[in-house]
Amino acid sequence: MSAINNNCEYISKKQIKIIFDGKTYEAYDGDTIASALLRNNIRLVGRSFKYHRPRGIYTCGIEEPNALVQIISEHNEPNTRATIKRVYDGMEITSQNRWPSLRYDFGAINNILSPIFSAGFYYKTFMGPKGFWKNLYEPLIRRSAGLGKPPKNFRSKSTHQYHNTDVVIIGGGLSGLAAAKKFINTKYKVLLIEQDSYLGGVLKNSNKIKTINGLTPQEWISETEELILNSKNINILKNTLVTTYNFTNHLIALEDKFAGKKIDLNKSELTLHKIRTSNTIIANGHIERFISFRNNDLPGVMLASSFEKYIHRYGVVPEKEPVIFTNNSSSLSLLKTLISLGCKPKAYVDSRKKDNIETEIKKILKDKEIPFFSDAEIEGCDGNKKVETIFIRQGKSFTKLKSSMLCVSGGYNPDIHLFTQSKGLVKWDKNILSFKPDTPFQKTITLGSTSGNYNFKKLCDEINEKLSIFKTKKVSLDINLNVPNKFSIKELWETKKKNNSNWSKSFIDLHNDVTTKDLKQAITEGFDRIEHLKRYTTNSMGTDQGKISSINSLAIVSKMLKKEISEVGTTTYRPPYAPLSFAAIAGRSTYEFYDPERKTSIHSWHLKNNAVFEDVGQWKRPWYFKASENETMHQAVQRESKMLRENAGILDGSTLGKIEIKGRDALEFMNLMYTNAFSKMKPMTSRYAMMLGEDGMIKDDGIICKISDQHFIATTTSSGAPKVLADMEEYLQTEWPHLQVYLNSITEQFSTFNISGPKTREIMMKVFPNIDFSNDAFPFMTFKNFDYKETKIRIMRASFTGELGYEIYIPPKFGLELWEEIFSCGKEYNLIPYGTETMHLLRAEKGYIVIGQETDGTVTPIDLNYNWMIGKNKKDFIGKRSLSRPDTSREDRKQLVGLLPINKKDIIEEGQHIVELNELPKKITNPIKYLGHVSSGYHSPNLNHSIGLAMIRGGKNLLGQKFFVTATGKTKNIPVEIVNPVFIDPENKRLTS
Amino acid sequence: MILIKCPYCGERDQSEFSNGGEAHVIRPKNPGSLSDKDWGEYVFYRNNPKGIFYERWVHSHGCKKWFNAVRNTSTDQILRVYKVNEKRPDLSDFKNTLKSPSGEPLVGSGNFAVKK
Repeated sequence: MSAINNNCEYISKKQIKIIFDGKTYEAYDGDTIASALLRNNIRLVGRSFKYHRPRGIYTCGIEEPNALVQIISEHNEPNTRATIKRVYDGMEITSQNRWPSLRYDFGAINNILSPIFSAGFYYKTFMGPKGFWKNLYEPLIRRSAGLGKPPKNFRSKSTHQYHNTDVVIIGGGLSGLAAAKKFINTKYKVLLIEQDSYLGGVLKNSNKIKTINGLTPQEWISETEELILNSKNINILKNTLVTTYNFTNHLIALEDKFAGKKIDLNKSELTLHKIRTSNTIIANGHIERFISFRNNDLPGVMLASSFEKYIHRYGVVPEKEPVIFTNNSSSLSLLKTLISLGCKPKAYVDSRKKDNIETEIKKILKDKEIPFFSDAEIEGCDGNKKVETIFIRQGKSFTKLKSSMLCVSGGYNPDIHLFTQSKGLVKWDKNILSFKPDTPFQKTITLGSTSGNYNFKKLCDEINEKLSIFKTKKVSLDINLNVPNKFSIKELWETKKKNNSNWSKSFIDLHNDVTTKDLKQAITEGFDRIEHLKRYTTNSMGTDQGKISSINSLAIVSKMLKKEISEVGTTTYRPPYAPLSFAAIAGRSTYEFYDPERKTSIHSWHLKNNAVFEDVGQWKRPWYFKASENETMHQAVQRESKMLRENAGILDGSTLGKIEIKGRDALEFMNLMYTNAFSKMKPMTSRYAMMLGEDGMIKDDGIICKISDQHFIATTTSSGAPKVLADMEEYLQTEWPHLQVYLNSITEQFSTFNISGPKTREIMMKVFPNIDFSNDAFPFMTFKNFDYKETKIRIMRASFTGELGYEIYIPPKFGLELWEEIFSCGKEYNLIPYGTETMHLLRAEKGYIVIGQETDGTVTPIDLNYNWMIGKNKKDFIGKRSLSRPDTSREDRKQLVGLLPINKKDIIEEGQHIVELNELPKKITNPIKYLGHVSSGYHSPNLNHSIGLAMIRGGKNLLGQKFFVTATGKTKNIPVEIVNPVFIDPENKRLTS
Repeated sequence: MILIKCPYCGERDQSEFSNGGEAHVIRPKNPGSLSDKDWGEYVFYRNNPKGIFYERWVHSHGCKKWFNAVRNTSTDQILRVYKVNEKRPDLSDFKNTLKSPSGEPLVGSGNFAVKK
């Protein structure tokens, strides 16, 4: 019993070699993996998900539940459908979910243990003891249940492409082509999308149709395709699968650019088409469904139309003498195909009554002396890793036959997946025993078998009628058929087993190993809603989404519940139609294009000077500078912090957000946006300011420079700049449109350097010899503009370290030059560069807060004891009213305090809890009273012990009291004293002198 | 991804916009005179209806202009867009557009893909 080749124009006679599980096989150019394997008489291609049962090729298309393989030669791409993936010379493929080999799989023990693996097994079994799930059950289950292994790391070059069209036709089969023909040379912009690399659909997959308009199907396809290609308004996308039908006629389709070719890593292998269309025509056909019977998963069982498709589309007859099992009239074309090739089916089993079976079928069976069983069904089949014997039940008698293949047809489902994704309503059709599209929700038209029209003779009228909304000419289709005109089907979902055994299985979901028994058990256990039942049994939740079986399961369930199928309803069809690679979705937004990096004008200098970078928003900021190869971060930060307080240090602060506020009403606007009062502030002075939300919580902080009442410059935190600008803009547009204010982001217009330390003044005088930096001429929190070389600079006296400090603003073009100049002048004063970590340490010593570290969206300025920043005399500002809400005026809110270890050697860690216990109990039975948390903790090199900032309940009234801070991995807590959160220079002498 | 018609730029993809929650919630002129309850309602309370909803949008990756839109939250259809200074359209204007996907009831989130 072996496969034979059939002449087929879609397959070239060029022989190529492919490797499957280490062995080399010969295939033809144009084959799919499945057709190549069938050509080589390979039926066993994988192991099932749960029971590790041997599985073969069940279908010939996207609906395949079994034949999933891993493509080694494409960075180990797993879970590839062998039935659609085209081969190329040298392609290397392995089977999945088996160990040590496909034939001898250790996991097959699950099949023997299967009676305990019924529906809900995992939920019921793996309940405890504690820790077993994480350490034992999950790793074990993941090892034995599943699909392929993850792919290797690779860089995809897939791209996205956008389309705007009038009409999209999904499916280039008979209906799709006829519809496209109507649009030839019209004003409509049309996109025809076909999943296969050839147009034609049912015309090339079967011999159902003899002639169209007097032409053979192939001639008609070629003629139509040529007409379409010559028409400038229609584009064809082949090898493209529509996966998603979104709201507002937005479609997503995936194009395989390397179908049947080896991937060129320098080219885009996938294109994700994002399509906006006015109208969508769905003509993506139908999917054949199976019938459940005992061992309906054995390799050798195949859907009848798939068997026929292998013959016509891929030129391979998988078996010369298969048994045909059907409940409908469509299998006639397979019968005719086999006979025309000189093959003779072993038997023809039809569940319909003899009188209902078409005369033509009966005549052929009689003429060719093919064993014919009417009003009969397949009870089951047996065999070792393949179909060997088949049992036919006719009335009360059983017939045993030997055959290696069984072709099954349980009827056809209109492929309504995309239609329901579009939110259209479906309706049960008793004539075809399936759901078909009814009311569209969007501008959606379904044609042909997708719309439930299985009568080829009526297709032409359907197309002309449904497309009459477009200004197009009528098409004519004169179709001559090889199959009966009228589709006839008898309801049959599952056949009865001869003997009841715990090990005999009739599957309803081949992909997830769900049996009809599991459905019954779930219903018995109370899962009688279809959505619950689906999740409990995992029915139709595999990567195939139950394409060949979901309607069958609805029917079986409805019978058990004694309800109509339409009452049971369908589960929700969700995008995507078929799995698509994450690489395609990501497109070019990967690696350096995923999130752009922002670099300051000094970046190259930082690199040269061994900076270690930290990501702040999209910015790259120096975290610390390594003085030597072996210096650790802790050492570097301690060194930088000490050096700065002894001499001077400079920080690249260019990332700080800067917003320019200009206009007639700028002063009023600033008074409304920030807590501080700006009215009495003198021009050319600056002030530390806070911005709240309407809930009274701190959103951002920064220094506000007042140039005049009509002109301010606000700095923001590095990552908060876009949000602050957007918030300002929002209030201007929506609440205060009467204010004449203009906002401009000037973050990138200036490089900013923060230089501070006791030697700063000397360095500044050396860099800018013409500027008077004396305390009287240039006091704290003032700023001035100067000419510097061929540009202008602004210098502000401000500090975030607690030392004497200046901020220099200069256009980035001149930034690096000035930075280097400062270093050459600062060399004799031991000027050092420092990073953000040292900045954080120094500001903590001084008790300055950092937004997002001390604050977390639940902190008001009062909680920080920053009452001085609140313009109490101002009638209104954002969040003012909220500062007197009952919640914000509570005494026991978490408030900012400082922490000092009582034993100076103890280290206070950031994020630890503050508690009243000096030691935690070994086993915690009752909740431990929690007072607050450490928001910042550092070892201060200048004080030579650990310091901390903390948010503690009612902290303001706890100064001088002793509490405890928890420590990582210890039950013994660290005793600490609550102190004022300023550890260095509380009188601000250094700042202001 | 739905399409939104910015009143200044025209029809654009949703990814260019940001949603700003309920529209026509006016910041009180004199917050200090409000009771805690009234102020709390302004700050924290927003409607979230199933059906017609007046909401704010900003063309954040475009002209950065704020505008208002009337959206049917059960179908995600944007029924009207208008500038911030324009009059709020009357609810009765949208009487006939009140349908939901798959004819599901206005309350609850049933799964009714099948026509009854």
